[in-house]
Amino acid sequence: MRKPPLVVMRSVSKAYGGEGGTVALRDVSFEIGKGEFVCLVGPSGSGKTTLLNLIAALDQPDRGDIVVDGVEVNRLSLADAAAYRCDRVGIVFQSYNLIPQLTALDNILLPMIAKRRPDRQRAAELLKVIGLADRRKHRPPQLSGGEQQRVAIARAIANDPALVLADEPTGNLDDENARSVLDLLCRSCREHGSTLILVTHDPVGIRSADIIFELRTGVLTHPGNDFARKL
Amino acid sequence: MIWTKLVFGGLGRRGLEAAVAGIVLSIVIAILATSMMIVEGARDALRRTEQNDRPDVVQVKGRFNRALFETPRSGNLPPVMLPVYEPLIDPAELAAAVGAGTIVPRQSFLRNVVSGDTFLNIYVFGIQPDRERQVSSFSLARGRFLRDDDGAVTMIDQASAAALAIDVGGAFPVRKADGGDLYLTVVGILDRLELRGAPPRTAETPVLARDLPTVSTGAFVTLKTSEAIFGRETLTDALVTAPSAADVPALVGAIREAFRLEPGIFVTERYEQFRRKVQDFALTLALFALVGSATALLAGSFAANLLHDVYAERRSQYAILIALGFSPRRGLAPGIAFGLAMALSGTIAGGVLAITMAPRQFAMPSLMADLGTIEPRLNWAIAGVAIIVAIAAVVLGMIPIGLHLLRRPVASTLSGNG
Repeated sequence: MRKPPLVVMRSVSKAYGGEGGTVALRDVSFEIGKGEFVCLVGPSGSGKTTLLNLIAALDQPDRGDIVVDGVEVNRLSLADAAAYRCDRVGIVFQSYNLIPQLTALDNILLPMIAKRRPDRQRAAELLKVIGLADRRKHRPPQLSGGEQQRVAIARAIANDPALVLADEPTGNLDDENARSVLDLLCRSCREHGSTLILVTHDPVGIRSADIIFELRTGVLTHPGNDFARKL
Repeated sequence: MIWTKLVFGGLGRRGLEAAVAGIVLSIVIAILATSMMIVEGARDALRRTEQNDRPDVVQVKGRFNRALFETPRSGNLPPVMLPVYEPLIDPAELAAAVGAGTIVPRQSFLRNVVSGDTFLNIYVFGIQPDRERQVSSFSLARGRFLRDDDGAVTMIDQASAAALAIDVGGAFPVRKADGGDLYLTVVGILDRLELRGAPPRTAETPVLARDLPTVSTGAFVTLKTSEAIFGRETLTDALVTAPSAADVPALVGAIREAFRLEPGIFVTERYEQFRRKVQDFALTLALFALVGSATALLAGSFAANLLHDVYAERRSQYAILIALGFSPRRGLAPGIAFGLAMALSGTIAGGVLAITMAPRQFAMPSLMADLGTIEPRLNWAIAGVAIIVAIAAVVLGMIPIGLHLLRRPVASTLSGNG
């Protein structure tokens, strides 16, 4: 039985550079249920990051509607979009986007500060969950790529968001670290009941997804489980 | 602690640029504040000059009577009346000439007051007390000030009172024009007086202020009493206050026209001299405003540019905060706090620099010769302008980044394509 939808996209299009510019998304429509694990695959430049940015309200579509947890994301002001992310969305960036002058613990605390509910104990527990309890006072430049991405994952789930968006979180990591980070991300989302939309090329991540979407030149297809088996 | 790190931490090599921007900002503020302090000092000097010079006051006086030098210096001689100025001014004629101006009439003359076997030279001034107080300065030590309806009473300076060995309530005789004596009862003792347009001091008299070429002591009576002593109504001298300083040339012209047939009456004014001072002041103001503005503009732009580089480096951090759910206001707060800290420290350092380095006295030979040396002054308006300039430099540095973050999608800033 299909879970109630958390993310609904209807005929969403986005192009860069105005009329005649690069088309990133072309008439994309889909629904993602609560607690589902969705994998988004496709070649570079196919619009995967654009799709995540639109869902996170970090960008606005040219056409179409995006509804997340009842919120019409495409009609939000800058301030409302920030409040929406604060309440409902956790984001894991490919380049981590940690604040370099803050410690690992401080970085995890940031979303809680945004929500005005800073909880150092919870941040410390999250550090323990990601296996970096002894690195709480280390700043990002003092951590390896894998460790930084773990901190970024802990930061993304710090507020127990309904939706976690991860944009190639293992893109800059070696295989061993990539497996470990993906495992942590999937496990954390399942434990918290969060919906996860993951952009990845990693076969392990793709195989464990509930739904796989493929984007090619801005057009979304649903290749089904055969796609995973071919990998 | 996190906010402190967000505001000041991790500047890296941009920290040096921020420090240079802070130093430049301090220097800008120091130069600007010093310029404004000099302008304010010049303004104050002009204000004081206006108070002292009273460019709106015109002096009308009769010819000086040099027979005064024949006053006997010793011996028990009969009192002799000698006017300081010749009583040539007809009050009615003067009143008709000045129109809307206010006349401060005077009868200034000298008396030898005989006391026992000695005598004393005393200047006697017939005045209208209320009007005289508007142009001259009196400081009463004891007793009361003269009133317009007073009769045979006087207000005398304490040097003369000491010489006559009298105090409030005492009386001394002055010889009237008809040969009789009029006893003046002392009602007030003055310890300081600055008589505007005082006559030159040419006889041995008690003094309150030494080394002054003008009279600094005297016995003051009402004009009615002095007319009784003097035996005539004509004035020896008068001050005329014009409705405004700009009316002085016309007023002087009217008085000269009225007394054109009387070569013994002289009209002097200080308005033209004051006008030159005002011109000097305007030049000074323009010069220092120009120096201050140009410096603020050039160096301020440099500081703003340096700060812009610092902010550009921080742009992605502000975008990350907004992406994590901070409202745009809170996301930009570290940048605003950093800018305010820079502006405040720059203003304080610049202000301290200006206060400690600015000259205590300042004069520009070619410009402010008439104003003399001026004392640079700091006031709240200067502090306000300094803070505004510092904040403006910071805002100029921050505005492009702020607009970028607020107008473009957060995603474009995060991807570095913004």
